[in-house]
Amino acid sequence: MIEYRDVHKAFDDTPVLEGVSLTIETGECLSIVGPSGTGKSVLLKMTNGLLEPDQGDVFVDGEAVFQATRRQLESIRRKVGYVFQNAALFDSMTVCQNVSQGLPDDEARRCHSPPVLAKVCAALDAVNLEPSEILGELPASLSGGMRKRVGLARAIIGRPQILLYDEPSTGLDPVNSAVITLLIKDIQRRMQVTSVVVTHDIQQAFEISARIALLQEGKLHFVGTPDAFRASDDPAVQAFANRQAAAVRAAEIMEVS
Amino acid sequence: MVVVVRRGAQGILRLVGRRSESIARDFGALAILSWHVLEALFCGRVSLREIFEQCYAVGVRSVPLVFVTGMLSGLVTSQQGGYQFTGSVPLYVLGSVVTSSVILELGPVITAFVFIGRVGARITAELGTMRVSEQIDALSSLGRDPVAVLAAPRMIAGVISMPVLVALANTVGLFSGLVASRSTVGLGPESFLYGARLFWHNWDLLYSLSKGLSFGIVIPLIACHMGLRTHGGAEGVGRATTAAVVMMIVTILVIDALFPPLFLN
Repeated sequence: MIEYRDVHKAFDDTPVLEGVSLTIETGECLSIVGPSGTGKSVLLKMTNGLLEPDQGDVFVDGEAVFQATRRQLESIRRKVGYVFQNAALFDSMTVCQNVSQGLPDDEARRCHSPPVLAKVCAALDAVNLEPSEILGELPASLSGGMRKRVGLARAIIGRPQILLYDEPSTGLDPVNSAVITLLIKDIQRRMQVTSVVVTHDIQQAFEISARIALLQEGKLHFVGTPDAFRASDDPAVQAFANRQAAAVRAAEIMEVS
Repeated sequence: MVVVVRRGAQGILRLVGRRSESIARDFGALAILSWHVLEALFCGRVSLREIFEQCYAVGVRSVPLVFVTGMLSGLVTSQQGGYQFTGSVPLYVLGSVVTSSVILELGPVITAFVFIGRVGARITAELGTMRVSEQIDALSSLGRDPVAVLAAPRMIAGVISMPVLVALANTVGLFSGLVASRSTVGLGPESFLYGARLFWHNWDLLYSLSKGLSFGIVIPLIACHMGLRTHGGAEGVGRATTAAVVMMIVTILVIDALFPPLFLN
C-alpha cells in the first residue's frame, strides 16, 4: 500500500504540490493525469525517496519513506520498480548489464553468469523482446519503444511489489504505445503488483486503471473509477475525458493569453 | 548622486554576500561528499573492479599527455635558465634550478592542470549528463548509492593516480632538462647532476608528491560534486563543466600557494 499524507513541494518558491493526500491499495493500479507541470512526476519521485517533500510524508507498506535510515530506504527502493520517462538506461552498459542492475549487487556484478543471464532473458521475454538479438547492444542502438521496454525489464527483474511508471508511452507511435499499455496490463495481472502510472494518454489510463486521479494546480481535483471519470461533469475532468471538451478548454486558454 | 552611490554599494554588497553564501554552500557540500565517500569506502560498498577501471581511465590513459607536458616543462626551464645564466653564474647551477623548478612546482602543477582538463572536466560532464538524463535517479531507484557507485571509485582512482603521474612528470622533466642543457649551453650530465645534488633535499620529493596527492584529492572531489548537482539539460552540463574547471584551477592555485608557507619554512 502507498499513502501520500499531506504532501507539499515547491521549487524556487513556486508551489508544485499543495497538500496532496492519497492512498493506493495493494494490488491496485492507479493512473495520475493532469496538465503538464502540475507535479505528477514529482509525486511519483517522492514514492521511493528520489525527491523530498517540503512537508508531509509518504508511506510504503506502512514505512515512512522520509524518516527511513539509508538501509531502510534502500530496502524500500528494492520493493519499488521505477520506469522512467526516457527509460534512463545506463549509456555505457549493454542491455544485459542494464537489466541486471535491477538485481542485488552481487548478481548485478556477475551479469554473464548462467543464473543471472537466465533472469535477464526472462525479464526481456516478459516485455516481448528477443534476448538473443539485443543482449549485447548498447542503449544508443535501440529504438525508443525498445528502450522503454528494456527500462521496464530492468524495473521488473527484481520482482518488485510496486511499479511506478512515469509517462510510459510518451514519445512513442500509436502501435508501440499500445504495446506498452498491453505490457502494463499483463505485468499487473501476472505479478499482482501495486501500480502507479503517470500519463497524458487518457485512453491508456482508462484501459489499465482501477482508479484515475486528476492532479491540477498542485491539488487532487478528482479521484475515482474510469467510469466515474467519464461521467463527471466537472469541466477540468471533461477536458481530459473527451477531445471536444479539451478543444473548448484550449480555446479558453488562448483567449485569456 | 548619493542615491546612485548607495545603490551601487548595496549592489556590490549583495553580490559579495551571494558569492560568499554560494562558496560556503559548496564547501559544505564538498565536506559532506568527502564524508560519504569515506563512509562508502570503509563500509566496503565500493567495487574494487570499478576502482581498477577508473585507475585505468584516469591514470594510465593520462600517461601520454603527462609525459609530453613533463618533458616540455623540463626542456623550457633548462633552455631559459641556460640563456639567463650564460656568463653570469656557474652553469652547473642550472641543474639545481631545473631540479627545484620541476620537482617543487612545474611537475605537480602542470600535471594538475592536465588532470583537470583530461579527467576533471570529463568526470563533471559524465556525471552531469547522467544526472540530467535521470540515470543517477535510476541508480538510486534501484537501491544503489550513486556516491558509492560513481563518485567513490573516481575519487580513489584520483588519489592513487595523481602522485604516480607527478612522479612521472618529475622524472621526464628532469631527464629532458638534462638533455636540453647539454644541447643548448653545453652543460654535461655530470655537471648538471652535480648542480642538482648541490641544493637537493630529500624532503623536496615528499613535498612534490604531497602536492600531487592533495591535487588528486581535490580535483575528482570538485568534479564529482559539480557533476552530481548538475541540472538544466545540455546547457546545464556545459555550465557545470565550465564552473567545475574554474573552481578546480582556482583551488589548485590556492593550495599551491599554501604549500610553501606550510611545508618549506
